[in-house]
Amino acid sequence: MCRRQLLNLMLIMGVLLTQTGCWSSFEIEDLSLYGGLALDEGEPTETEQDLNKQGGSYPRKNLITATIQIVPVNSFGSKSKSDKGHTAQYLNISETGDSLLEILRQYSVRLERMVIGHHLKVIIISTKLAQKQSMDQILDFVLRDNDIRPSCTVFLSEGKAMDVLEASRPGEVSAFRIQGMLRNHYRTSKVMKGVNLSQLDALMNSKRSFVLQNIISTKKDLEFAGAGIIKGETGNWIGSLDQPDVESISWIKGEVQGGAIKSYTEKNVPVIYEIKSMKSKMKAKVQGDDISFHVDIQSQGRFTENWDIKNDPSKAQFMEEAEKIFEKRLSQMIDSLMWKMQSKYKVDVAGFGECLSIQHPHVWKKVKDHWDEEFSQIPVTFDIKLKITDFGSSLK
Amino acid sequence: MFIRSDDKISTSQTSIFLTNTVLGAGILTLPRSVTNVVQTPDAWISVLLGGVMIILLAILMVKLSQQFPSNTVFQYSKRIVGTIPAAVLCLLLIIYFIIIAGFEARVMAEVTLFYLLEGTPVWAIIISFIWVGAYLIFGGINSIARVYQIVFPISILILLLSYFLSVRIFDIDHLRPFLGEGILPVIKGLKSTILIFTGFEVIMNLVAHMQHPEQAVKAVVTGISIPIVLYLLTVVMVIGGLSTDGVLRSTWPTLDLLRSFEVAGLFFERFEFPFLVIWLMQMFCNFISFYFNASLGISQVFGLKAPSVFFGLMPLIFLTSMIPKRINDVFNLGDAIGVMGIIMFVLIPGMLSVIYIIRKKGLKQDV
Repeated sequence: MCRRQLLNLMLIMGVLLTQTGCWSSFEIEDLSLYGGLALDEGEPTETEQDLNKQGGSYPRKNLITATIQIVPVNSFGSKSKSDKGHTAQYLNISETGDSLLEILRQYSVRLERMVIGHHLKVIIISTKLAQKQSMDQILDFVLRDNDIRPSCTVFLSEGKAMDVLEASRPGEVSAFRIQGMLRNHYRTSKVMKGVNLSQLDALMNSKRSFVLQNIISTKKDLEFAGAGIIKGETGNWIGSLDQPDVESISWIKGEVQGGAIKSYTEKNVPVIYEIKSMKSKMKAKVQGDDISFHVDIQSQGRFTENWDIKNDPSKAQFMEEAEKIFEKRLSQMIDSLMWKMQSKYKVDVAGFGECLSIQHPHVWKKVKDHWDEEFSQIPVTFDIKLKITDFGSSLK
Repeated sequence: MFIRSDDKISTSQTSIFLTNTVLGAGILTLPRSVTNVVQTPDAWISVLLGGVMIILLAILMVKLSQQFPSNTVFQYSKRIVGTIPAAVLCLLLIIYFIIIAGFEARVMAEVTLFYLLEGTPVWAIIISFIWVGAYLIFGGINSIARVYQIVFPISILILLLSYFLSVRIFDIDHLRPFLGEGILPVIKGLKSTILIFTGFEVIMNLVAHMQHPEQAVKAVVTGISIPIVLYLLTVVMVIGGLSTDGVLRSTWPTLDLLRSFEVAGLFFERFEFPFLVIWLMQMFCNFISFYFNASLGISQVFGLKAPSVFFGLMPLIFLTSMIPKRINDVFNLGDAIGVMGIIMFVLIPGMLSVIYIIRKKGLKQDV
């Protein structure tokens, strides 16, 4: 009896001992979590060149320079009071090579804690790199990896991508700031809806051209500035759109959630229309082999700012005049975008292809392989109706 | 051991048993496998039509089983076609169940290794899975059914919660055009949707264990309708969230859907982990069902004692699960199981019913 109890006790102890831990767990303090990844053309940084001179090299082609932003750099131990507010919250570290995985593993010969991608939020790709390599090649590893989640957002940068991660105010982590800035989409449509990795994967598989938000940076600050166009067939960057173009795309797609249209009256003073709501309806018409599109844009808004002090915005007549002015401005913006899409770059990035594929799937099947070329010849008409519904809290 | 008078399950337990037998690892790859064949966003129609067909087939199986009260397919098949042919048929069915059990364990291990327990050896996961399974099976069908009753609401809740949260990336345009290329792709997709319901054959054994076998049709319709609804929801949410192009590029599309968004402010920020952890229980239930039915078959066909069958099957299932060397082999095995399922159907309920009807009409006194 006693022996049996002893056996039971030993069994219980055995179970307790084996059940307490994970097989291959890591303490979070022993990890370097990176929140941002910047991909540039392969060009070793100064530190790297110095290290290479000393013999710290391995066989590789310099195709890509990857910079990771490790946060927070001093999570434990060395938080002395004098440092507060002065030291950076992150560590940016770059490596050059021709394989992203190899580069990430190469950090292990430079850092004491292993880098891990579970918390990667933003990926920034320089347009120079995207011009040379296709997006498919650049992002292949990121899409295959099991640590990096497809929820992270992809951006382009016309300057060096690593500079974007460097540009930040004291105490701030630029990767997290960029992620936060995405939420401003409902304040102005100059901020695009972020494109995450799984959406990007689908876009690349569909071979459609698309746009990604462009980030520009100075030493101290960064800004969302327009968008870069990725050509579907090649997956390369082919050119940029400016901020009004990005807004126009949102107008055509009906994704505008807020923002303003500014225009000038005859006296050349600014008047502002604040968007309260908008709707856009795209219709593809097919007659024989001829495809054409008609886009119907309707919006309601507020007369928020008026520099034309002689005129009274509360008067219906002035409202109607102003509506015409705003409509003209929006139509100019859209025309400029259409010119860039149809003549300059010959791509469709405003969802016309999707519209055709939904409304006329049979026609789409015939043209989808050379849609970008086809699209540049297709007539598109717009019908824009802006309605001013009120004029704010001031009568005059 | 197997057919004890007290070891009966209620009608609702039968439904849940059937649901848990069908619903397993398949949900992780389902949107891709169906879209791969259909190639249009209409994959969900295939799932719906396929499901309705499966219900009809299952009802046929129930009707056949009801002719032999308290007999499993392993017992009544010899009364229809004779001892030797029946033994061959049953052996095929047993092998089929063992392969599915091994496959389920393997898929479970693959996903767990990739996303949750990187670095854990594959045997450590599968063997512990089989051990716990064997322990449960010793308790008989009643204990299994009760475990199912506990696991089922939890796993369904977390599944529905995950899908509900993924509404934020859902885009109805990804599911359009509706029938853009006509009904033909949908029909083609039927083949692959029937495959995801493999395992519903266990109903031929379940009827024998029911307290009220006369309610078997009701149990089957409920038991298969639940997976149909959940599969439908899966295909709609995953294609709506990732679009067909995205689904085709993803190895585990359902997990990729959950990996594509983060929920700020909720207890969990990322839902693939809670989902996977809970879904492990569902895959366990799924695995148990085939383990149990395979052992039931061996013990009844060869007249062996239950414990020796349980222990004997453990290494066999483990080896089966380790046969595929690459992940491609795992997916190919999955497709092969689907084809086997169709052959099984033609041979067992199909052929048996035909022979049964002929014999009943011809020589009424014989059966």
